[in-house]
Amino acid sequence: MIDEIFLSQLKQSVDLFLPETILVATFIIALIFDLIYKNSRYLIAVISIIGLVFSGIFLVNQSTSSAAIFSGMLSFDPFGNFFKILILLTTIIIVLMSVFSKELYEGGRKTGEYYILIVGMTFGMFLLAVANNLIIVYLAIETMSISSYILAGYTKEIKRASEASLKYVIFGAVSSGMMIYGISLIYGLTGSLTFDAINSAMISSDISGLTLLIAGLMIIAGIGYKISAVPFHFWTPDVYEGAPITITAYLSVASKAAGFAVLIRFLKVSFFDSTNYANDEIWTLIGTIDWQIVIAILSVLTMTLGNLVALWQTNMKRLLAYSSIAHAGYILMGVVVMTDIGVTSVLIYFFVYMIMNLGAFLVVMIIANKTGNEDIQKYNGIGHKAPFVSACMVIFLISLTGLPPTAGFIGKWAVFTAVLKSEYIWLAVVGVLNSVVSLYYYVKIFRNMYIRNFEDDSEIYEFSPGTYILLIILAVPTLIFGIYFTPLLDWAESSVKIFLGV
Amino acid sequence: MSLIDIAFYFFAILIIASAYIVVTSKNIMYSAFALLFTFFGVAGIYVLLNADFLAITQIVIYIGGILVLIIFGVMLTNRITGVDIKTGTMSKFQIWMTAILCVIAAIGLILIFTQTNWNTALSPTKASTIEDIGTLLLTDYLIGFEIASVLLLIAIIGAALIARRKTN
Amino acid sequence: MLIDVPQEYYLILSAMMFVIGSVGVLTRRNAIIIFMSIEIMLNSVNLTFVSFAAFMGDTAGQIFVFFVMAVAAAEAAVGLAIVLALFRNKKTIYVDEVSLMKW
Repeated sequence: MIDEIFLSQLKQSVDLFLPETILVATFIIALIFDLIYKNSRYLIAVISIIGLVFSGIFLVNQSTSSAAIFSGMLSFDPFGNFFKILILLTTIIIVLMSVFSKELYEGGRKTGEYYILIVGMTFGMFLLAVANNLIIVYLAIETMSISSYILAGYTKEIKRASEASLKYVIFGAVSSGMMIYGISLIYGLTGSLTFDAINSAMISSDISGLTLLIAGLMIIAGIGYKISAVPFHFWTPDVYEGAPITITAYLSVASKAAGFAVLIRFLKVSFFDSTNYANDEIWTLIGTIDWQIVIAILSVLTMTLGNLVALWQTNMKRLLAYSSIAHAGYILMGVVVMTDIGVTSVLIYFFVYMIMNLGAFLVVMIIANKTGNEDIQKYNGIGHKAPFVSACMVIFLISLTGLPPTAGFIGKWAVFTAVLKSEYIWLAVVGVLNSVVSLYYYVKIFRNMYIRNFEDDSEIYEFSPGTYILLIILAVPTLIFGIYFTPLLDWAESSVKIFLGV
Repeated sequence: MSLIDIAFYFFAILIIASAYIVVTSKNIMYSAFALLFTFFGVAGIYVLLNADFLAITQIVIYIGGILVLIIFGVMLTNRITGVDIKTGTMSKFQIWMTAILCVIAAIGLILIFTQTNWNTALSPTKASTIEDIGTLLLTDYLIGFEIASVLLLIAIIGAALIARRKTN
Repeated sequence: MLIDVPQEYYLILSAMMFVIGSVGVLTRRNAIIIFMSIEIMLNSVNLTFVSFAAFMGDTAGQIFVFFVMAVAAAEAAVGLAIVLALFRNKKTIYVDEVSLMKW
């Protein structure tokens, strides 16, 4: 049964799969080096960076290719490539951040496996960005989740880390159990799990609506858990607070990106009429269920709850956790629109969100390195003790609020324009109101840094040059993309194309 | 009533009863042993559904692997402190709420299952599915197979990392 | 031989297993029992897959079961490792005594 055609297809698949293969190779090489050089502090980090950069080079090279590989299990397209590059950039920044993390290296902790698991998690997220089959989605989500369960509890002697990890693994296992149950129902309805086959089965035969709704909701619950959309968000604040701060930052950007990639691809390829994809702006749903309304409700709940609860948080990690829930809500607005403009806005917002959110977490990490915790009271007078870091934090906070002239404004602008062009005007209104609410808690941080009284022992905090370089790497694009955003726009517009199978 | 019918009802009752014991028993060891019968019953149903190879795999992985792991977990977490093996539950009100919710969920699912036109195409059943499974795993689902291998490697590293004591 | 028992019966059996598993997850507070309940849920998913596969005459459904089993094993291993790590720290495996953070 294994014939020539299959082998030639396999060869083509393996060629396109090179970035992922490099990741797995890095994973294994790092593992071996970790066994040999047990006590090296940064060796595994360096190996991981090298592997990630190599993988990135090949990734950029194939940014225009578009093909279904491994018997249609994965579809490589510019859309997936955008998310993969985004995930890769996040991973590289996180690895660099981790090198400076005091919490992680405390008490001579071995960190080899930490970097190894980050590479493994990247592999899972890469697959999630291109998965075109529900069972691959499940496997990729689990690859990502199992790595993140362990990473969240990596500082296992710290109680709150192991508690966070336990909550994460229990809720994660339940939600992925729900998801796979939904997948099994889809299999029973359509006889296949490949997105395009689901689509053609829905066009050709009569699928009972209620069952499809239940199955779809179960799958969205599983993905919603990963992007921490309300009401599947309940793990987020605790896990974000308990996990090492680098991992919090990583979860808030990379695993969300992977979740959004698979959510958009699943909804778009499975539930929309594929005959008028190419040139039409209007997407027609097939079947009786209006998935856009479902996502719109999720979006409103997510941003409102995220912003309102963030108002009375006193721990910076928790605050940023709720803020990241709110941002997932804004991004879901772009998903609701579902046209090319909508997807473009999601891509733009995500890139911007990556820079500014990582920046904010980097500042929190730097300050926690000095003060020992992330309590918002500790930020009193930081503006005088660490002027440069605080200035960067202000940039990130302005950007997170979505005010010009920062990149955050461009992201919000893209999403709101997309929503205004669709029939969901009310959604845009809710979004704007939410942005106003969010201003309050971002300003609270600002106030603590600059205006609040502080004990006048005015010692100036010293930081290592590496952290300054990282800060600049993140702060400068936040400003530049706020003014000169054409390249980002072009890149996002050329990346909306989703491969639809043969 | 044919023999198949009797076998089905036997396994179904075995599964439901033992699963019920798993989630309600006050003694965690009873739960673990009841789980054995649940897994075994599911393996029996697999045989009825012509999935012979899966039935064996079910016994090897679930009973031989996962269940042993769980029992190890029980032993390790109980022996260290010598606390009782009893496990508590929630308040009466919460239990009733969940009970009502779950009854609704069960009725909903059963309605769905009986109302829906499932995709069925009865083809002649084969004597054994092993050959098909092997071919599919190494052709169409090759990538899934590879991902699963990486996943298991990550899980091994991670579990060893988290469970070991701090050495230095 | 399949005709004897209608497909719905298998599906209803799996639905009942899924609900019992959910009850366990929702009501129990011992982390290990919660993991057992999750295994029951995953078993019910597998049963659904196998019954669909049998009535469709499609072996692919059985492949999915393999993947779910692999994931279940991995999840159980990692989950129990985390339970052990927490137990070393707190000497408890009751999830509601894990109260350093709010639920």
